[in-house]
Amino acid sequence: MKKLIRVTVNGVEYEVAVKPNQTLVDMIRYDLGLTGTKNGCGEGDCGACTVILDGTPVNSCLVLAMQADGRTITTIEGVEGKDGLHPLQQAFIEKGAIQCGFCTPGMVLSAKNLLDENPHPTEDEIREGISGNLCRCTGYLQIIDAVKSVSK
Amino acid sequence: MSLPEFDFHAPGTVDEACRMVAEYGDKAKIFAGGTDLMLDMRRKRISPEHVISIPQIEELKTIDQAPGLLKIGACVTVSRIVKSKEIGAKWGALCAGGKALGSCLVRNLATVGGNLASARPAADMPPPLMAYGASLVLKNTSGERVVSLDDFFKGTGVTVMTPDEILTEIRIPEPPAHSGAGYFNLGIRNACDINILNVASYIALDGPGGAVKSARIVMGCVAPTHVRALAAESLLIGEKPSEALFQSAGEAAMKAATPRGSAYSRASAEYKKDMVKELTVRTLTMAYREAMGLTA
Repeated sequence: MKKLIRVTVNGVEYEVAVKPNQTLVDMIRYDLGLTGTKNGCGEGDCGACTVILDGTPVNSCLVLAMQADGRTITTIEGVEGKDGLHPLQQAFIEKGAIQCGFCTPGMVLSAKNLLDENPHPTEDEIREGISGNLCRCTGYLQIIDAVKSVSK
Repeated sequence: MSLPEFDFHAPGTVDEACRMVAEYGDKAKIFAGGTDLMLDMRRKRISPEHVISIPQIEELKTIDQAPGLLKIGACVTVSRIVKSKEIGAKWGALCAGGKALGSCLVRNLATVGGNLASARPAADMPPPLMAYGASLVLKNTSGERVVSLDDFFKGTGVTVMTPDEILTEIRIPEPPAHSGAGYFNLGIRNACDINILNVASYIALDGPGGAVKSARIVMGCVAPTHVRALAAESLLIGEKPSEALFQSAGEAAMKAATPRGSAYSRASAEYKKDMVKELTVRTLTMAYREAMGLTA
């Protein structure tokens, strides 16, 4: 049976009727229409579905929508500021850290969380920080470059 | 692939959760971090009628460092353990085990209790916890019992927990002076892989440079459950640590390991046995260095 939950996504409060077996990623994509969050492997390996839940990046395919009741979420759509793209997003463009773009939303959110916690990470810390996000196009080097360029 | 249909419950307290598992019994599954459960449900390995979510229960999320005893709530995430300086200072091998689990995203959801209760033979938290002599608090509506982690696993995916019980707390004694522990996991990548083999060792010395007073060596991926290499442990007791001693402990551990070899278990039995010896020597050396106050 569907149940009404209340969730704040990118600063906007929503009331959504969700099914018990609905995942958070499906709620974000299909009920809220925020399709920047991608549904990849569905098993917590690829990180395409990364969102920031109460300040912590998680695989939204491993969270049930009902578990988000009363909580605060940032998706890729909430990263951009009033003045345009977040510096990390701009750096991804400038360093060629995007090809097909499927991993990018999750990659940007993981990198943003890393820099929020640790503004000057070493290369190893950057690699560790994006270890849950797979990219099959770029070979990661441009992504690491992009994160480094913002951390300076 | 979609999830099977189930009723969702989110109790606010342990007592409420105990009443729910008592009512639904084996028709229910407990959702701690979900990193194993969601996969099992998606792949239709299990189809519970009820899913009881527990990570929102505050009393399961405390880390309490009482004198001589560390108490970790079952729903403390592996990330919190990895990042805790207090845990890292005294229980370094536990942090090493945590760091080996999944990726940083998975660790933000995965809980220490879930990693034990799912009883996977390749899991990263059981070897260091067993090496430190951890015990577990299991609660139901009529009370609680404390079981040693040594006696907890009964087979792959099977533990001594009854369907009406909830794992609420992990208790880890504080290691004495002149003791140390080490953890090493062998996989094909640094993140998001399943271990080929993992070993944790703990030793306590009779004073600086003294003989080995107590020892625990725990092996993963070599049997349906994590197992202790008891013969290797007793061989160490009363002896002065040396490379030759650790080598013979490694040999003994290798003899005690009964791995199966197949594509599914990710390596041949012969390779795993050789690596049991190697990882036993390496983790004993790590343990010895910590016991002697030598930093890496």
